[in-house]
This record gives sequence, structure tokens and C-alpha cells, in this order.
Amino acid sequence: MQLRYADDFVEGAVFICANRRRCGPPPLQIRRFHLAREKLYSILDPDARNTAFFNLQLEWFREWGLEKMLVGPADEFPLLRRMLNALVFRRARIQRDEGAELYVGPENGRSGVVALRIERFDRPDELACFLRHEFAHVNDMLDPAFGYSPEVHLPGRNAAQQRLTRERYRLLWDIAIDGRLTAASRATLGGREQHRVAFDHVFGFWPESRRNEVFDALWVDRQPRHADLLAIASDPRGLDSTHEPVPGAACPLCGFATFAWAGAHGLSAPTRAAICAEFPHWAPDQGACRRCVEIYRIVGARTPLAV
Amino acid sequence: MSAVYNWQLGREMEYPYDGAFPDRQFAFVFNINRCIGCQSCTMACKSTWTFSKGQEYMWWNNVETKPYGGYPQHWDVKLLQLLEQLNPGGQTWNGAPQALKAPYGQFKGQTVFEAALKNVSAEGAQQALGYLPTDEEWAAPNRYEDNPTGAEKGQKSRYFAGGESLPQHKTWFFYLARICNHCSYPACLAACPRNAIYKRPEDGIVLVDQERCRGYRKCMEACPYKKTLYRGTTRVTEKCIGCFPRVEGRDPAGGGLPMQTRCMAACVGHIRLQGLVQLNQDGTWKEDRYNPLYYLVHVAKVALPLYPQFGTEPNGYYIPPRWVPRPYLRQMFGPGVDGAIERYANPDRELLAVLQLFGKEQRICSRYEIKEGPKIFETEVRGKRFAMYNDTIVGYAHDGTKVVETTVEEPVHIRPDKHANSI
Ligand code: SF4
Ligand code: SF4
Ligand code: SF4
Ligand SMILES: [Zn+2]
Ligand SMILES: [Zn+2]
Repeated sequence: MQLRYADDFVEGAVFICANRRRCGPPPLQIRRFHLAREKLYSILDPDARNTAFFNLQLEWFREWGLEKMLVGPADEFPLLRRMLNALVFRRARIQRDEGAELYVGPENGRSGVVALRIERFDRPDELACFLRHEFAHVNDMLDPAFGYSPEVHLPGRNAAQQRLTRERYRLLWDIAIDGRLTAASRATLGGREQHRVAFDHVFGFWPESRRNEVFDALWVDRQPRHADLLAIASDPRGLDSTHEPVPGAACPLCGFATFAWAGAHGLSAPTRAAICAEFPHWAPDQGACRRCVEIYRIVGARTPLAV
Repeated sequence: MSAVYNWQLGREMEYPYDGAFPDRQFAFVFNINRCIGCQSCTMACKSTWTFSKGQEYMWWNNVETKPYGGYPQHWDVKLLQLLEQLNPGGQTWNGAPQALKAPYGQFKGQTVFEAALKNVSAEGAQQALGYLPTDEEWAAPNRYEDNPTGAEKGQKSRYFAGGESLPQHKTWFFYLARICNHCSYPACLAACPRNAIYKRPEDGIVLVDQERCRGYRKCMEACPYKKTLYRGTTRVTEKCIGCFPRVEGRDPAGGGLPMQTRCMAACVGHIRLQGLVQLNQDGTWKEDRYNPLYYLVHVAKVALPLYPQFGTEPNGYYIPPRWVPRPYLRQMFGPGVDGAIERYANPDRELLAVLQLFGKEQRICSRYEIKEGPKIFETEVRGKRFAMYNDTIVGYAHDGTKVVETTVEEPVHIRPDKHANSI
């Protein structure tokens, strides 16, 4: 596994380290670093200059133990070394952009890419927790037993539903990761309590007993699987299997979640015919949302019935 | 360290260099009461100077919503907190005001230069107390836009009645437009280990020498206003250049006369007035009674420096927002706040006329003259008699060229109703 860095990541981390007012590297080294850096400003060719800066800064990145802060936690996940061609680090400016991804390409094979804010180097303990969590994501993605598939895409769902599913999935996965790390006596950034609060917030529609059951199972699960997490995330209320008009379920005609069901049994013959012209397998038992009914009532009134 | 005189603090203070003052100093007044937060100024600067690669997060001019906003995030609160930690309870003012030399009395606390002496690390002391903002703090220039603060905690479905009555609103925010203050004692300059920052002798504009800068970012750490910004592509620091070609009179639009900067000229709210003021040997302002900036700062005393207690003697002045609770404003603009608001809320004839100069003309006005006009309006405002006279104010460039003439009563044009949509 090759380690690779974005230049602004190394540059930022080394600078933060050199600039630390307490517990930084020895002042003499900082002076040497700056003197060497100053010289590079005289290189006129921009590419040559960038390369020179990168190489110099990478040297100090290693000298000051910053690389070790990244590699240490990575080595706790042997799968990474075995299965990744490269582990890449890049700079994130804001917290929302932090996190790990797995890229699989025909040329470079598998690369794990971790984005993080450089200020994390200022708090080594937290950095280790953050990295461990992110590496655990990559580890799961690589582990055949987890069965990851990047397609958290569900056919027949609209964009909002897809996003909701992805958010729920992330949450469940995070719980499953920090639960395992905690069991392995590793410190994590989010504790059990914190995860539970987030979980209750997202799955608030479940009765408490069900929330306890699912959360506890996830927290102690030593071998979670992608498919199981996705199943919980995609349809936590079991609305897919109900075709009865349940509040918030999808209308079988337009596919939008609806709270406004129309009584489909009392529909006039022309309306029913208009619906069946487009949805031959539809039956009044499945219901329809009020908006659809309105539309098909108009369509039905315009179409002369073929008697 | 040298002892220099800081008239905004009404006392001498420590500064790493001797004082060195330009003949004429770049200065400006922003009337916060008029700013609508439209960011035209911000975009005028960006589209002129900082539209290139590596300058994506660079905003030499920014407008933030106070109290929560700030660019970089929380810049002022963070520094105030650092100062408070080093000098708990000691950041206070008292002493009698004295014209020109100590108009706000005396600051008894510590400036960023003085407090820095206490903040020693392995590297030695800082030149000015400060901190380096994080990437995240620089990432969004207008976070918390339009977020007000209230005296009471909000309640669901209840409108907070009476929050908007003067003299001090209970629910409030205001827009603070900021550029580099081209300080008389720049902290950025003091902190630069390579002497790459200099103050121009001709107009006091503070510039970073792009050839000398080696990206130490000590200036970013030291500038209390956080107005120097690092550019990753060139690895050097850049900052507001006070649009010096315009101030020098090199913009063809000015016909050879000095012009106000781009951000001043673009201001939609007409909140800005910029010019040059004459200085004495000790950095105090030379009497120049009919220079509009001198008038606003030293005669009417409606315009106050931003966080004077930081000690850099900033050359940006603000007419404080009159609806905002005073303790907040006193912290931001010093003890002159109450008087400034009192005079601004009950303007006399001269002040009304000078306020008309804001945003009326792009060329710099160095002197004004007022021609008296008839009384056009009379009323009572908060128990005080108020009369308005339609005086005419005429502004002249430094060489005596007339650059602006306007009246207190704003010109009104009534469109003939020839067509329903006549323009
Ligand atoms: S505002 Fe900051 S950057 Fe501008 S002159 Fe003052 S200390 Fe320097
Ligand atoms: S004075 Fe000029 S350079 Fe400075 S902020 Fe305004 S427009 Fe930008
Ligand atoms: S252009 Fe003027 S009114 Fe608009 S945000 Fe800037 S200072 Fe305020
Ligand atoms: Zn995670
Ligand atoms: Zn429908």
C-alpha cells in the first residue's frame, strides 16, 4: 500500500506544526525548516517550485512525526495494507467535507481517500480517534463479509428518499463502527450516548422498545453487513410492503409519499378506467393520493368511454 | 520596543518600532446606520483585485452581521477573550477627554502589543497578541447573515413585542463593513519577520511587498482585524491595497484627481466616505476644520475607531448603529459611543450637510463649504425641537477643484405622466 498526500495537506500540516506556540518542534528545527523553505521562493518555474516545496515539506512531515500519526491508526486495520493500492490523504476545509471514501479504478486499483482538516494535527488523541473511525469505514468497504456496494441507490425512490436513506445508512454504519471500536477498548469521538441521541432523532417514529432493540443489536454487532444496514435504512417503517393507504406511504400511481389518501373505492367508472389505462395492475385496494385522483377524474371526464 | 503616542487611547504605548507618519493618511468613515448588507462593496473589490486562482477565500472587503457573524468567524470575540485572559477585568477606560490628543479619555488596559509581552513561548514573545484562524473560520465570509440576537429567549409561536423600539432595540443585529484599517501602528507590519510590510510615506496605505514575503503568516496572526490573507498558489500574503492607484489619481475616470477606492465608490447605501487626513509629528490629526473626515471624527465626534483598545490606531471610523444596546457598542467603539449616537440622532445643520457628501462623488473631497439655505421643515423628535434647513454643501479636491455640490434636501425628480410607464 502506497501512502500519498495532496500538497496542500502536507503543507498545511507542517505549517501548523511549525507555528505551534507550545509543545511544538524545537525552535532550531523550525528555523532550519523556514530557511530551507525561503530558498525555494527563488525557483521561477511554478511546477518545479511546487515540487520542491512538496518534497521539502514531506521531509519535515516525516521528521516531525506527522506521518506516523496517520500510519499508526491505519496499521490497526490489516485489511487496508493488504487490499489497498494507495491510501491518500487530502485537506478538507470544513468539517462537513471530512471523511473516507474508497475509489476503485481500472488503472490504480483500490484507493482509500481520507479528507481531514489540518487543525486535527493539533489534537493528536482526537486525530487518532477520527482516523480509526474513518479507517474502519474503509475496512468495512474492503471486507467481503461486510458486502459493501457503493450503490446506495434504490430504484423507484425519489431524490429526497434516496438522500434520507443515505443519511440513515451513515448513522447506522457509524453506530456499528463505534460500537466495535468501543468493544475493542478504543476511544471514539462519538460515545454511545451521543449516538443514541442521534439515533432516536432519526428513528423517532419507532416505539422505544423497537429503538432499544435495534440500537443495542447494532452496538454489539461484531459482524454487521451492508445489506442489513441498508434494509433498515431504506424502509424503516415497512411501508414498501403495504399497499394500503398508510400515512406517509408512497402512492402507487405517482410514487410520492402522501398523507392525503383519497377513497379509491368510490371512484366513478370513467376515473377508474383512466387509471387502469395507465396502470393496468392497479386495484382500488392499493389506494391513490388525492392529487392523482383529481388528475384521473379530469382525464376520465375528457375521454369518451368506449362502450 | 519604543514608546509611541496613540491618541485614540489618550496615552503612550509600546510598539516595536518608532512612530513614522505619512504627511497625509488614508482614512474613511462608514455610517453603519445606512448599510443594507448588499455586498456591492465586497464584489467591487473582488472583481477588481481578487478574482484569480488561489484567491477564492480572499475577501479584502467583507460585510458581516453582528453580533454573530465575522470573517474569519468570531475574529473579534476570540481576540477580546485572549486579552481578557491575560488582563482579567483590566480592559477599561477612564480619564478626562482632551481634544485631538485624547478625545475618548484614556485606555487603562493593555493593547495587543503590550499583552503580547506576557504571552511568551519557546519562540519568544509574539510582537502582537493574536491567533491564526483555521481553514474553517475562513471558509464562509457571511455566516450568520441576518441572525439577530434578543434580550429574551425566543418562544415558539410568540412574536417578541416591543423588540424594535428605540433608543435600544431588544432584538437587534447590524452590518459591519470592514476593510484593512491602514493602521498608524500596524500589527501586521510589527509582526513580519522579513520586514515585508510597509506603510507608504505618501498616504499611509499599508502594503505587503510580494517579493519579500515568505509566507510566515505572522501578520495574519498579529493583525487584530484579520485583514491579511494567505494565498496558497503563490505562498505569499495579500491584503487590501487601499486601491492606491485611484488614491494617487491614476484612474483615468478621475481626470487626474485622487479618487475614493472601488469599495467606497460602489457602495449602494452611500455609507462610505474616504479621503486623506493631515497628521502632526506625533501622529495626532492636524487641525483641518473643513476636511469632512476631520469634521466627523474630531468636531462632530460621530465617527469612532473600530476596537481602538487593540492599539493599532486604525484609520477606519464608524458612525455606530443607534439602535444597538450601548454596552455592546462601547466594547466595539470605545467610550465615545453615547455622545456619538446622541449627536447623530439629533444632527445639527453642519452634520446634516456633511452627511450628504457620502456616496455623492467618487473623487476625494478634501475641503467643504456650506452655503446656508432656507428652513424647510420643523418638527419635534423625542421631545426635542428639530429644524431642517436646505443648505448647500460644496466639496473641493486638494487642488481646489470643485468636485461636488449638493443640498440637504435630496433632489427629487417628478416624472411627467405622459405615458403610464414614462421613464
Ligand atoms: S488592519 Fe490589520 S492588516 Fe490592516 S494595517 Fe491594521 S494591522 Fe495591518
Ligand atoms: S480599498 Fe480597494 S483594495 Fe481595499 S477593500 Fe476596498 S476595493 Fe478592496
Ligand atoms: S455596498 Fe455599502 S450598503 Fe452595501 S454592504 Fe457594502 S457598505 Fe453596506
Ligand atoms: Zn463515520
Ligand atoms: Zn399519487
